[in-house]
This record gives sequence, C-alpha cells and structure tokens, in this order.
Amino acid sequence: MTVLELRDVHRVHGSGETAVNALDGVSLMVEPGELVAVMGPSGSGKSTLLNLAGGLDSPTSGQVLVDGTSLQSLSRKQLAAWRRKRIGYVFQDLNLIASLTAAENVALPLDLDGVRKSRRQAEHALSEVDLDGYADRFPDEMSGGQQQRVAIARALIGERRLVLADEPTGALDSRTGETVLRLLRSKVDAGAAAVLVTHDARHAAWADRVVFLRDGVVVDVSQRDQPEELLSTP
Amino acid sequence: MSVKHGLLALLERGPMYGYQLRAAFDSATGGTWPLNIGQVYTTLSRLERDDLVAALPENEGQRPYEITATGRAELKKWFASPVKRGDRPRDEVAIKLALAITTPGVDVAKVVMTQRTATMRTLQEYTRLKTEPGDLPWLLVLDAMIFLAEAELRWLDHCEASLVRYEPRPVPETTDVEVPR
Repeated sequence: MTVLELRDVHRVHGSGETAVNALDGVSLMVEPGELVAVMGPSGSGKSTLLNLAGGLDSPTSGQVLVDGTSLQSLSRKQLAAWRRKRIGYVFQDLNLIASLTAAENVALPLDLDGVRKSRRQAEHALSEVDLDGYADRFPDEMSGGQQQRVAIARALIGERRLVLADEPTGALDSRTGETVLRLLRSKVDAGAAAVLVTHDARHAAWADRVVFLRDGVVVDVSQRDQPEELLSTP
Repeated sequence: MSVKHGLLALLERGPMYGYQLRAAFDSATGGTWPLNIGQVYTTLSRLERDDLVAALPENEGQRPYEITATGRAELKKWFASPVKRGDRPRDEVAIKLALAITTPGVDVAKVVMTQRTATMRTLQEYTRLKTEPGDLPWLLVLDAMIFLAEAELRWLDHCEASLVRYEPRPVPETTDVEVPR
C-alpha cells in the first residue's frame, strides 16, 4: 500500500497580491521500501512539501494521504496521535530534549501513547544506530554525530512507516553524514518509506528517486537504473 | 593516465601474464575502465620494446612479464608527478552548453535539465554501488566518480541560475561576411 500520497496539492501562503504559491499542484506517491529525495533551490517548496506530508501544515487544496488516510479528515487530536505512531521526523536542528537522556528522548513518542516497555524498545532502537551503551547519556555528553543518530533512532522507533528528513546531515562532517544516510537507506530497505529534503546531490543520490522542485512545481524526476546497465556502458 | 603506467604498477606486484594483468586492472578500477586483451598485449609489446618490461620463459603456454629497472624508474617518476588538467579529455558537457546558448532555436534550460537528470541518475548508481562491500582502493575510485558527478550537478545548477538572468548580446551582423559563390 502506498505510504504517502500527495494529490494535486496546492499551498498558498498569504492572500491577495502578496500571495505566494509555495506548492502549485504537486502530486507524489511514495511506496514502502522507497526513499525519495526532494531537491530544489531555496524557496522552491521543499520544506512546505515535507511539512504537508507530516501533517504539520495543511494544503490550501488537494489531499495528503498517509497509509490511505487523508490527514485533513482527522481531528487535531487524532492527527497528533497519527503522527506519533506512523511518522518519524529527522530535522537539521535535532530537537532533542536536553534534560532527557538518549533513551528517554527516543522513548518519548511511545511514552506519550502509554506504550509499556518503551525503555527496552528505545535501547533496541539505539543499538540499531550503533549507540549501545549510550542510553543514559544526556545530549550534551554526546558528539553531533551521536546526537543525530539519537534523533534518527527516535524517528524510527515503533511501527513508523514513514520517515521525513529535512537536511538530516546538517552540520555533520561528510563521513558522519554518510553514516546517517546509510542508516536511513537501510531502514527504507527494510520496508519503511522516506522523503529526504536536501540541497546536496551527493545525499540525494542515496534515494531511489530524486524529485526536482522549482517554484512549487515538480520540474523533473530522476530514477535509478540498475547498476549492471551502468557499468556495461562503454 | 595511460594503460602503460597501469600495467607497470600492476607488474610491480610481481610477474604476470596478459590475462592476469587484465583481471588485475579490472579489479583495481572496479570494472569502470574495461580493457580488452588486445590492448593489454599491444601495450606489453611496446613496454618490452622500450625496455620497461621483460618477457619471461613461457609457462604452460602463458608468457609472463616482469618489470625492469628502467620500468621501475618510469613508474616512480609517474607516481611522483601530478596529473595535469590539460592531460584530461575536454569537457563535452561544458562545450555543448556553450554552443546551446549561441545556437538559435535551442532550449538551453531543457539541455541543462536533461543533463542534470542523467548525471543525477549516474550519481544514484554510483552511490548504490557504495552499499555493496568493497576494498578501499575501489571505494576511493567510486568516491572520485561521485565527487566529479556532484561537481557537475553543482555547475549545472549554477548554469541554470545564470541563465535566468542572461540577456543575449545582439547577434553580430552576418551580412558583412562574404559568402563565396
């Protein structure tokens, strides 16, 4: 089943003469096991697209569906619960809570839903991002790369089917950034769907599909070929 | 780089015959620069003529070659010298784009976009190859191709942004040119 679907989505900021078409009729489908990167210059609508996909913003017209359910059909409370259970976010600014340990940060979405044994799940999620033994450290006791991995563990914990990432490698050095992308890639290969917003082509290249946005419109899509085809080209 | 120096470097590991050299070359370059066996033998005979390698006695129908002292000196010189930019092939993409701008009736933005899609796809393939296990030499060759593709994409973005502001200069009058009849 398609995890994320945008159907002819428009988002207008402001009104009258100052109205800006942040998204101007974008349609996009993301399937399980698929990583889609969104590229484009500043102001092209990348972040608007991600906010709409995550239910943090509503379209002016058109529909956003996650697992077949239209986000606009949910009440605010339902939407909040839906987001916690199904959608994971990784942002450039990590949004880790400084007074909580790594495990507490990761377990937070589960705790809010009253899930039992959240600590065990959090430790498992941390070990998946190679942070065994870091459960009781506070964010300021970890490096930038380690904090970013905590944020990823938090985004992937539970039964999240959709991961939304906005410049997740942020200020990380190129090797640590690559580790983050490898993690995202392996999660997607294990069946999740993800949308990655980035301005960096080398990061976008980890995706199965790269969507180029210009002025709120999809202008181009690049899809991966099979490696064999590439290498047989003289 | 030439095949010549590639073969000399491989022979520095120890004597090899043609097919072994081709396999070692393929493995070192991750199959991105396929050599045919004819090229290997032609290069070997030139290297032998220039006293850079020497043929050893045949062994089970195969003739191994070894690097000579002169060959070793040449190899050392090669590693010690930088590769000059002028030694690399011309950038066809840059030339094509320059011509697209000055050729009437060409949709330059479309040329940029078509190239970008193709280069992005190539970058995606290279990146996919990185997820497979590989030795460091091969991974570094792969990274080199990745960084070059990335540079081309950045340059294409730059071209696109520059084209938005571009106002072509008036085309020089061509009527002054005498056309031979």
